[in-house]
Amino acid sequence: MRRSWLVFAALLAGACAVGQPAVPLNAFAAGDLAQVEAFAAQQVADGPAENQALVHNVLAQCELLQGRVDEARRNFEVAGRIMGSWSTGGGEATAAILGSESSKTYKGDPYEQAMNAYYLALCFFWKGEPDNARAACKRGMLADAEVGDEKFQADNALLFWMAGRFSIMLGSDDADGYFGEAATAHAFAIQHGARGVPNNDVLANPRRGNLVLVLECGMAPEKYAEGGQGELARFRPRPHPAVAARASIDGRDLGVASLLLDVDYQARTLGGTEMEGIRKGKAVFKTASTVAGVVLLDQASRSKGDAARTQAIAGGALLLAGLLTSTSADVRHWPTLPSTVHVLTADVAPGDHQLTIDFLDARGRPLPQFRQHTLVTVPASGEAWHLARSLPPVAPRAPSVP
Amino acid sequence: MSIRFAAVALLSLVTACAGTRDTRVAPDAPDSVTGTGLQSQDIRTMATDMAAKIKASGVLAPARDGERASFFIYELRNDSSDTIDKEIILTKLRTNLFEAFGRQIKILDRSPQANDLVDAERRMKERGQVSGTNDRQVAGSDFVLKGTIKSRDRQAGKLKSAYYLVTFELTDLVTGELCWTGDYEMKTESEKSVINR
Repeated sequence: MRRSWLVFAALLAGACAVGQPAVPLNAFAAGDLAQVEAFAAQQVADGPAENQALVHNVLAQCELLQGRVDEARRNFEVAGRIMGSWSTGGGEATAAILGSESSKTYKGDPYEQAMNAYYLALCFFWKGEPDNARAACKRGMLADAEVGDEKFQADNALLFWMAGRFSIMLGSDDADGYFGEAATAHAFAIQHGARGVPNNDVLANPRRGNLVLVLECGMAPEKYAEGGQGELARFRPRPHPAVAARASIDGRDLGVASLLLDVDYQARTLGGTEMEGIRKGKAVFKTASTVAGVVLLDQASRSKGDAARTQAIAGGALLLAGLLTSTSADVRHWPTLPSTVHVLTADVAPGDHQLTIDFLDARGRPLPQFRQHTLVTVPASGEAWHLARSLPPVAPRAPSVP
Repeated sequence: MSIRFAAVALLSLVTACAGTRDTRVAPDAPDSVTGTGLQSQDIRTMATDMAAKIKASGVLAPARDGERASFFIYELRNDSSDTIDKEIILTKLRTNLFEAFGRQIKILDRSPQANDLVDAERRMKERGQVSGTNDRQVAGSDFVLKGTIKSRDRQAGKLKSAYYLVTFELTDLVTGELCWTGDYEMKTESEKSVINR
């Protein structure tokens, strides 16, 4: 009977914990987007409900990188609705506090919510709705403002710059305000350890260009658990050779793209969370109750009679409580995000052009395995945006929609 | 003992990992899956209100000679901080306006798709490829209906509030006069759970 209770208790402790989906990152890095998409689609259909936002984001990203903008937008919207809702059931909160934190619905960290907004903005722009694209940017800015450390609450230059560009398209008079915020955010981020250079060409001339290249490099950091009981959530970078990008059009060099967003920095500067304090408290309780339980059981083994029985019951209960207390941090994260996002703008004659993108290593040398050639069409009025990622050109490439 | 164990185990598992549900609810019912944006009940209330207010204003009433006023819905511009399916709002509004006015007014479809269809049909009639004649001109419009969605978001610590203002305007396309304007307001407040902050 005692064994039954132990088995049941173990089941209860582990039953509701939801782990990081095993996204085939090697396939993603190798450019096999179809395989990653199939995995994400299967997880959307059959995976845990708590991970829906995460797998919808991965699915949408694969669709976007393969040029299927409408499908991507729908899935980013589904993920964005889950990530943006502050509503949480009492049962879910109780389970996450008393049991495993990863039993809760994944809503992403602020930097992940901001990245969902960034992709959604691109999708809405390509749909021909710059107003909704700008709305997505604003939502991303609000998400960025949710980080625990107040001083890092408005340092996403990319979203401000994009909002400014969309404002110009809408004929709004607030574009310069957004560009000013973008410059301030960038200067702050650089000052506090983000990668990039202070004199950013795109932010110095934010209105320039009818061709906009959005170039994503590397892989986003990995979230992992640290501390004696795994109670601390931390980030570590995922090494990748591509750290910058340059482009040429019809053989004319356009130069090196400006780094507007350091995703690793955004993740690192998330700040402390209240849940981290709770997990630390649980870790102390777990250690204390486990030690006390062992001590009491040891004493019980040396005692006799009623005292021994009382010590055994109390020790067993404490040991069980200690063993069942889950202190591990929720380390679910969006693993297919890039490490950095760069932007290159250029004034190009309307019409079709042959675009070549080279991703560069840390020494500025082109990485031939990631070279991409594509045809871009620049409209007579308005502008064309093109998205590219530092992946081998295995799958059909990302969209380029005027 | 084993029955008691089974009962306790079952109860614990049921409460620990509650099941799911699929329930049909009225479109006006408050969303249980909430966010701070416009919800289904807002779209319905807004469309009903606007249609009733436009009718009550009398701007679109037929002239004395019985000539029907015509208008088309141009755009709903989203200046808020939430992505919104503008088409669902405009389609619902157009339906409610049609139901409110019936054939007393002419609602023109000026969507690119409709323009393409009209052009193609008229060309085929001109060429004699299909029956019928182009004995009437493409209808011009007396008015245009357009709108904006704006929001004001406040966020501090675990609290957030969002105020939404949806404004519609009816403009006379001959004189440029703003003939009617009406709005719909909505505000939500949210508190972030400790597990998400």
